[in-house]
Amino acid sequence: MKKLSLLIGAGLILCWSCDSGSKIDEQAFLDSLETTEENTTVISEEVLESILQQIPSPLEIAVLLKESGTNYDVELLNGTDNLANYNSNFQKALNLGVYGTDLGYTNIYEQNQDAFEYLTAIRDLANGLSIGQFFDFGVIRRLATNSRNLDSLLLITTKNFNSINASLQEQQRANLSVLLLTGGWLEALHIICQVTERNMNNEELKERIGEQKIILENIMLLLSFYSESNPNIKELYDKMAELQAQFDSIEITQTYAESTLEEVNGIVTISNNSTTTINITDENVAEISRITSSIRDYIIQ
Amino acid sequence: MKAIAGVLSIVLGLFLNVPLASAQCDPSVHTEACIPQLADGFNFVKSYEVNGEGGAKDKVEYSYVFAKGTQYFLNICAPGDQTDGIVVSLYDSNRKKVGTSFANGNFNKGIIYPCNATGIYYITFTFEGSQSHCGGAVLGFKR
Repeated sequence: MKKLSLLIGAGLILCWSCDSGSKIDEQAFLDSLETTEENTTVISEEVLESILQQIPSPLEIAVLLKESGTNYDVELLNGTDNLANYNSNFQKALNLGVYGTDLGYTNIYEQNQDAFEYLTAIRDLANGLSIGQFFDFGVIRRLATNSRNLDSLLLITTKNFNSINASLQEQQRANLSVLLLTGGWLEALHIICQVTERNMNNEELKERIGEQKIILENIMLLLSFYSESNPNIKELYDKMAELQAQFDSIEITQTYAESTLEEVNGIVTISNNSTTTINITDENVAEISRITSSIRDYIIQ
Repeated sequence: MKAIAGVLSIVLGLFLNVPLASAQCDPSVHTEACIPQLADGFNFVKSYEVNGEGGAKDKVEYSYVFAKGTQYFLNICAPGDQTDGIVVSLYDSNRKKVGTSFANGNFNKGIIYPCNATGIYYITFTFEGSQSHCGGAVLGFKR
């Protein structure tokens, strides 16, 4: 009986201590909000994360370019010799995103020597932002020296970027995560615009540019969270607003259709005839390309 | 005596069991295991942690912008070989259901979606009689 009472008592104490612990955490959280209010913008972590994780991988654009028969062109990328110019966290985070896209592009085209240069630059920028621990450079070097390891290299670098984003959010440095994604997205847009301008007959590439309207809306939302409290982000936001104004003239129409499902070996394949139509003119492409290049120049300078 | 034992089990059940189950869930183990299971030709994009917190959550939701002309593959991993009742469903930007891994009474391992309509899609994980309420999933794409 005594033993039981003790056990109940211990259980209750344990439960109470858990509860009081969460109250302490809650208080600490509230205190942190007060102390950071003046300097940083406080956004619900959930909201921020849900928007951040929507942004598609720039790899998708690189794969599209390769499969549409476009040749590899290193001149489209931001040279690693610009690395020394990036001194502030603002520049480092943006260009970490830019180089991340460039790395993906070199990976997809199996240009492993170039990929290795981008990896080195990325490691340096990541170290500068105190997030370099995600790179096991020994493994990456081994994978990068052999094109047969392309899948593994792609996988490991994609995983690293996901980990970096997660870590920045955990460290309450999500503003850098937003910049990283913005830089990566803008570089992918720059590459696809340059390629498309050389061949305006490629409707698929033009459509893919038009679709970026949806992603840009999310990026603008993310930047807006920080633009009031951070003058650098405000400047970037204003430049991106010009790009958004151009995208506003592009119409995306959606047609809905029911899906059918087919099961094969434990995998369901969905057949769906829902479609989107994107109305984008050559003039739209040229103007988006011009504004994108201008913002990119501002970022990579 | 029986009453005390009953109270004890309720107290411990209410206050300890749920957090313990939650603490035992390490979705990263399942996401790691899932990556090599991506079907041939698909590039890894993201991994998703599916933590139902011991049953406290009835769904876990993520979103991603899918692009026209691209095929996406979502693969579920859970303790054991099967999906442990974890179901992945895809909804379009208007929240209309596009498809699900639970079809004809079967818990399938994943879904392949050849996308013809660019937009934000909601990737929702639910638990149908799941024991662990814990798993992971990966998203891959190919053209």
